Amino acid sequence: MDHGLISLIGMALSILVPLVSAAITIIICGTAMAGVGTEKPEILSRLIITVVLGEALAIYGLLIAFMLLSKIPDIATMENANKALIAGIIIAVATIFAGAGISYCGSSLIGATAERPETFSSNVIGVVLSEALAIYGLLIAFMIIGQI
Amino acid sequence: MRKLKVIIFEDDVDAVVRSLGEAGTVQFIDMREKLEEWKGVLVPHVVSTEALTKCSDLLSKIEVSFGKLGLKPEELPSVEIPITKESIEEVLARVERKLAELPVEKFTKCSALISRIDQLIEALGVETEELEIEEVTWKKPVEDVLVEIENELSEIEKKAETTGLTNRQVLVDRIKTLAVREEINVGRKLAELRKIVIESERFFAERLLNLKKNVEMARASIEEETKLGDISEDLLTLREIVGKEKQIAEVQEKFVRSTKTIYFEAWVPESNVKEAIERVKKATDGNSIVTDEPPARDEKAPTILKSCPSYMTAFEKLVCAFGYPCSGDVNPIRVLAITFPILFGIMFADVGQGAIFIVIGAILAFLRRRVKLEEAGDITRYLLISGEMFILMGISAIFFGFIFGEFFGPSGFIHPISLGRIGPFYIGGFEPTQEPMKMLRFAILVGAVHLSLGLILRFINEIRHHHYKLAPVPIYWLWLLLGSLFLWAYWGGISNITRWFAEGSLMLAGLVILPLLLILVFTGIAEGFMEGVGFSVEVFAETLSHTMSYGRLMALGLIHSAMNYLFLVLGGVEHGHFPLGSIPLIAIGTILVMIIEGLVVFVHTLRLHWVEWFSKFHTGEGIPFKPFKYT
Repeated sequence: MDHGLISLIGMALSILVPLVSAAITIIICGTAMAGVGTEKPEILSRLIITVVLGEALAIYGLLIAFMLLSKIPDIATMENANKALIAGIIIAVATIFAGAGISYCGSSLIGATAERPETFSSNVIGVVLSEALAIYGLLIAFMIIGQI
Repeated sequence: MRKLKVIIFEDDVDAVVRSLGEAGTVQFIDMREKLEEWKGVLVPHVVSTEALTKCSDLLSKIEVSFGKLGLKPEELPSVEIPITKESIEEVLARVERKLAELPVEKFTKCSALISRIDQLIEALGVETEELEIEEVTWKKPVEDVLVEIENELSEIEKKAETTGLTNRQVLVDRIKTLAVREEINVGRKLAELRKIVIESERFFAERLLNLKKNVEMARASIEEETKLGDISEDLLTLREIVGKEKQIAEVQEKFVRSTKTIYFEAWVPESNVKEAIERVKKATDGNSIVTDEPPARDEKAPTILKSCPSYMTAFEKLVCAFGYPCSGDVNPIRVLAITFPILFGIMFADVGQGAIFIVIGAILAFLRRRVKLEEAGDITRYLLISGEMFILMGISAIFFGFIFGEFFGPSGFIHPISLGRIGPFYIGGFEPTQEPMKMLRFAILVGAVHLSLGLILRFINEIRHHHYKLAPVPIYWLWLLLGSLFLWAYWGGISNITRWFAEGSLMLAGLVILPLLLILVFTGIAEGFMEGVGFSVEVFAETLSHTMSYGRLMALGLIHSAMNYLFLVLGGVEHGHFPLGSIPLIAIGTILVMIIEGLVVFVHTLRLHWVEWFSKFHTGEGIPFKPFKYT
């Protein structure tokens, strides 16, 4: 396959998959928030963290895609094209699982906080640790791009 | 914070609670949760449901009276209530008697009569302006006049109903029956009737208006006799008394009792202990046993947060949203007020956008002093109290904007200013988008400093709580954290990890393995061997993952820069020169970036504090001190 096409596929993966992950996360956590917001609107300001962390996944994808886009004119060898593809795959897979973590833990956090607000500080850990997964993927993807 | 333990006679309990409630410095402990300790000796003190029901009953009666008089108790000035030594039952009986004596009924009778008259006049459908009203004079007592008026009104109502004046269908039906039976001309009969009906309507309406005038005069005379202001004040006093008694009864649910005595425990701030004991002694005439003691080792005393300056309100909200600080802990609000803007500024580094933040913050801070916060909506209130936080974040963004050379993105308008270099860590002097690895190292350094601060605070907390066996643990942790960072920097990063274990094995043992072993030993001594093993594994994992997590400072900083760069490219900005045409585009870009990126960066700053930083020293398991006070 042409190395230009491979690097473009990498870039497309790095933006599209995080977008879908972010969308699914926001759909799940956003609807859960709307549900508890009707009962206890005072806790919504704390719960917004779930939706914003979900949205951050799309921004990580955007960053990698943006960096790949600026590198595409310099990609002349197959090796560099593969690096671009791998960077795209890393951020894509990382955000899929980070998104899954935030969705599951986030919706449970929202339900649990509505019932017992004092459990928030312990339960939020699941959400933020899931989000940390995406950061790890982002750092490695980023370092790979640095080598192109 | 001290704990009061009080034993009093059953008869004095109401007076004691009433007196402590006046002081408003005592938080009663729910003894029902501790009943296991006293099994067989003490039982829950059950407040008679009769007293509670009576309270609710009296309160609703008072509310109804307010409604009848057309008064709103919230709008009336507050009243002083004398302290009494009576029991709840005695107070409630007194209130009931007083309520029955109040002349509320006379007022309500007048209002009811007036509304009945108005209804009837409306049903008759007569224009009242043309009617004449006689001058009224009466010399009988007001009560008799009202009875007469009521009788006459009932008579008029009855007549109007039977003759069909208030119900035209009756009239029409009657004429139709007549027309069929006596074969008369319906049209002529109707015309005759119309005349009669109009006359009778006028007659009744005139009569009614006179009655109304009489009632109004009666009302005026009642108002003269008994002033409305006096009644409303009396009602308000009664309402306050019953409200207090209800709270006094409810709070006693937390007490326990033996056959004749009541036992309760309560938290009191140290400065108020003497006063609280005095109050108990005075209310019981000395027939009580009161002791005070500090909280037990594992007992959670409620926390009183020292009031922070108003510009820290937003930071206080951020800390308390995670959890309340424990009693005796270092208050994290003041430290957070410094670190929060710094971390935000690193991710949102931009001179131009920082300046906009300062302007927005100044406007919000100005508005906050003009607008009543209670009346503002939820989001508006949050924004208004965050005015000063916006200013601090703006200042920090400007500072880091200069360091990273950002002015509405990497426009080349400002050149990065270097603040120096510590080993491989560059503090400023580079553009993050051009040299991301330097930015990553800078982010990790900031993370290590931030976490070190958290560990120092943990050390202070352990000392404050007299946990001397655990106190060295944060110091060893700090040793591990800074040691690992040194190791990483010294051997040129993680890519040379094999050298760590070869030439650097001694250094590795001294900087990583030794502190971990010490943590294991000290935690093991304090809490048991297995806890020690678990904790040291946790410390190792946390040191690694939490420091790595600060890599997001780089990631989000780059994203911020990249998003701004996009609009700079679209606008055709080159080498710090902004063409005139680019300004609208830059403005749109700035608004978008400030809203989307601002929110994301804010949440990430919050998350770094809540998870990575707070996990070192702030559990958020404190309970706010809520003394028993009348509301």
